[in-house]
Amino acid sequence: MRTGGGRFRLGLVAATVAAALGLTVTACGSSGEGVAAKDSGPIAIRFMSYNYGTPCCGAGTQQLIDEFEKANPNITIKPEAVAAADVLTKLRTETAAGSPPDVVQLGWSKAGEARSALPLVPVQDIPTAAEWKSGTDGIYPNILKAVSNSGTGKVDIMPFSISVPVLYYNADLFIKAGLDPARPPKTLAEVKAAATAITRTGKQGVYFGVADPGKSDYLTQSIMNSSGGGEVDGSGAVTVDSPRSIAGLNAIRDLVVGGQQPKVTATDAQAAFAGGNIGMMIFTTAAMSTFEKSAKGKFDLRTAAFPSFDGSAPRPTYSGAGLAVLGKDKGRQQAAWKFIQFLTSPQGFTILTKSIGYLPLRPAIVSDPAYLGDYFKQDKRLLPSLAQIGDVTPYTYFQGSRANQAVVVLQDEAVTPVILQGKDAAPVLTAAANKIRSLAR
Amino acid sequence: MAVASAWHAGVLIVIVALLFPLFWVAVTSLRPANELYSTSPIPWPMSTENYRDALFRFPLRMMLLNTVIMAVGATVLQLAVAIGAAYAVVRFRPRWTGALLLLAGAAVFIPPQALIIPQFLAATHLGWRNSYLGLIVPQLAACGLPILLLREYLAAIPASLIEASIVDGARPAQTLRLVVLPLLRPALAAVSILVFINTWNEYLWPTLIAPQANRTTIQAGLQLLGNQEGPTSGALLAAAMITTLPVLAIYAFASRRITNAFLQSGIK
Amino acid sequence: MAGAGAAPGTAQSARDGRKGRGGRDGRVVTGIGTRSGPWAYSAPAILSLLAWVYVPMVATGVASLLDWNLTTPARFVGLANYRRLLADHDFYRALWQTGSYVIMMLPLATAVPLALAIALWLRPGRASRVYRALLFLPVVLAPAANAVSWQFILNPLQGVTNAVLVGVGLPGPGWLNDPSWAPLVIVAITTGKIVGLNTLLFSASLSAIDLSTIEVARIDGATSWEIVRYVVVPQLVRPVALLGLLCVLLAGQWIFTNVALVTQGGPDGSTDNAFYRIYTYAFTFFDTGTAAAAAVVITGGVAIGYAAVRLVTGRIRRAGAPAAG
Repeated sequence: MRTGGGRFRLGLVAATVAAALGLTVTACGSSGEGVAAKDSGPIAIRFMSYNYGTPCCGAGTQQLIDEFEKANPNITIKPEAVAAADVLTKLRTETAAGSPPDVVQLGWSKAGEARSALPLVPVQDIPTAAEWKSGTDGIYPNILKAVSNSGTGKVDIMPFSISVPVLYYNADLFIKAGLDPARPPKTLAEVKAAATAITRTGKQGVYFGVADPGKSDYLTQSIMNSSGGGEVDGSGAVTVDSPRSIAGLNAIRDLVVGGQQPKVTATDAQAAFAGGNIGMMIFTTAAMSTFEKSAKGKFDLRTAAFPSFDGSAPRPTYSGAGLAVLGKDKGRQQAAWKFIQFLTSPQGFTILTKSIGYLPLRPAIVSDPAYLGDYFKQDKRLLPSLAQIGDVTPYTYFQGSRANQAVVVLQDEAVTPVILQGKDAAPVLTAAANKIRSLAR
Repeated sequence: MAVASAWHAGVLIVIVALLFPLFWVAVTSLRPANELYSTSPIPWPMSTENYRDALFRFPLRMMLLNTVIMAVGATVLQLAVAIGAAYAVVRFRPRWTGALLLLAGAAVFIPPQALIIPQFLAATHLGWRNSYLGLIVPQLAACGLPILLLREYLAAIPASLIEASIVDGARPAQTLRLVVLPLLRPALAAVSILVFINTWNEYLWPTLIAPQANRTTIQAGLQLLGNQEGPTSGALLAAAMITTLPVLAIYAFASRRITNAFLQSGIK
Repeated sequence: MAGAGAAPGTAQSARDGRKGRGGRDGRVVTGIGTRSGPWAYSAPAILSLLAWVYVPMVATGVASLLDWNLTTPARFVGLANYRRLLADHDFYRALWQTGSYVIMMLPLATAVPLALAIALWLRPGRASRVYRALLFLPVVLAPAANAVSWQFILNPLQGVTNAVLVGVGLPGPGWLNDPSWAPLVIVAITTGKIVGLNTLLFSASLSAIDLSTIEVARIDGATSWEIVRYVVVPQLVRPVALLGLLCVLLAGQWIFTNVALVTQGGPDGSTDNAFYRIYTYAFTFFDTGTAAAAAVVITGGVAIGYAAVRLVTGRIRRAGAPAAG
């Protein structure tokens, strides 16, 4: 036995033990986060964004921050990355930790719960009425109306990245199936016919990305709205089990059991569409840049508007994110407003559209050569969605502080079984509706 | 020889099956964006785009550093604490040995999810969010297993060795330093590796306590690549390769030592 | 786990210890006294466990009586959370599925690595060392990448697995999209790490085997298989029981990360489990009270399971001991 060469020094061990104890006992209250706010002079605000720091959108976000700081030397933006699926979780833990970010990029599907559980500062209340008017002048009035808080009628979360569901299609597969890629389907019946033709070539026909891993219900809403139903009616009552809502989801089920839509998750379908194995995919415009990258040199990617159901006009709602303010004092709130104003300015949207592919919410800049005129001359793929953005349907929310749980119930217990197993929508939607109603109590 | 080739074949089948996902990570990480979903086992055409994205457009190096600091820190802390407890039990044989071992044993089996909210609130209250303290110190909750393993190993050391040192007039600290620690070395190495691997793979705690990209660890940070505007799987896989490589290098360099550590540790 | 096997030995050494101490007391009075000594050395461990395990557990117990979402003031609701939890079908399904995960993981954490370790041990040499090194790789691969890789491989529409299956004329399953396959896939995803690590641990135990017993068996004319079956395996009963026990109790943890990364409990709740349930209540629904109640119930269940397994493995060990000797 070796006894001499002990390389572990007792002193070291003892010091570590002491350090461990010392740490647990003494290292209290050394928070580095609470930056004292001042009414004047330089101020730093925290911006939580799921675009920041990512290979796809980080550069564009950084450019926005740099240009804003150049124009406003008194304000420093401290960006914080967050995973898109974790925004609400992080926001709640940060708030519980007493240090919510000042501005956050918040997905619309989470806005309902954020409004009831988090100390949001309504964006419209920060500037004076005149400032608000000039700051939002030129933004689609319908968008501002659509995102307004249904209780107060005010814009409490600023529209930022508005995406709409769009029909992506693989023009090469259209040609192979004997379809005319210049005339994409406009109605669900045409989608089904085109999908049937594509499946005959050995590829998959169509995929409605209704059940995505982010558990957002924007497509569920779009489908239910377009078939004359909806998730929630004007009085806030749950209507996912109304006959029209059921009919909407069953129209998708019809594609699943008919073999036009594969029984896979949106993650798998996204990969398969990007790999050129699905003819059409109904999904958010936010996926545009990823699909473009995958299709480059492989297949001709085109887009068309969200199809109509049953002859009535399509009524898609939007996805994406708004900008919410949680800053605690007036100074930070004012700085946050300035930043938000910049992000949604003509200049801000020019950067956003070029670098990330967000839809510009100011129609005037689309043709203006000073902003996006040249861009849209070259790339027309965002145009079908832009044509729809003016009349998107407001996002609806379940009532109460368990709104997010209600969305998860709807997506996991009703939509997913229909998509993955071809279950009849009527019983699963009825069961989900009852559960959602009991959650609201 | 037939037996030898059957042996190689049998072992290799299992190893290939276990390594296949890693192989696919390596292959896919080298594909350009428009080939990402290819089923070819050869990454051709090849591209380093994913590696450039992961290294230069994502705070990966910082995350790697954080992960190493967290894993090393947690390992050192847990071992220091465990050595103390194991030694106390073996050297002094207090009447409350059973109670101490039960305390450690039960802690192993309490699911971390059951403790995570109070731990989170406590660490937050101490101002440890987005800090190494927050990443490392609460890992002490996992010190139960090292305590049990080291104590088990120490109990197998002939009592006469410790007694001889006591008879020689050594103080407890000297006995620990001169007799016990040298004997413990193989076990310490093995237990360190176990703790290190466990901490290295920790996912839930860093996501909560260190949400900031440049303050978090790889396991939590890779989630940031699952962006809504376009899941950048290619960059994620490249990042995983980059972060697995240093561990591989360490293993290649020290593989015999690591294996020997396990072989000599007599964790049995 | 460690305590049970060593119980007789402890009694023995405790006697020796008293003797030793008696001999020492007369001569040496310097340093840490016998009374304060054990406390001083074990205090860091005890304080750590109290601070980061037991106090939080008590706090969780208190939280289970509250209606609380972390951000708005808490309200005392008594046992309402438990009542709601015990009426929740999802919770029972999660518990049940945790059990089936454990049963699926057990052979993968014990039999497979044991066979592999024995195979490598039977033929020592460079090949074995290389193989052992390769087995270490999946252990350190980032779980997020492992998960994405599997999603690529198993994509039913264009994954390499189904391409091969369809190529040889077999039907390609839906894998993660099919509630009956998804739990198996989660188990498979988790396997790489466990088999690799446990093979290393079993290899360690194998190296400690008394080689003379094998020589004796060989002289007696036993075949390799007989030696493994009747000489080697009985000597490994203890580590197998230990890792088996650890697996039973920790399988849910290993599974947790992959469920969180890959399926989020779906499809149709088929991959949900007790630990992911706590996480869902706590961080998806922000229903801290119900999460805490689930944590209390599950911890209680684990404690009962621990006691039961201890009883069984104790019996196995007693039954295995004579066979080894």
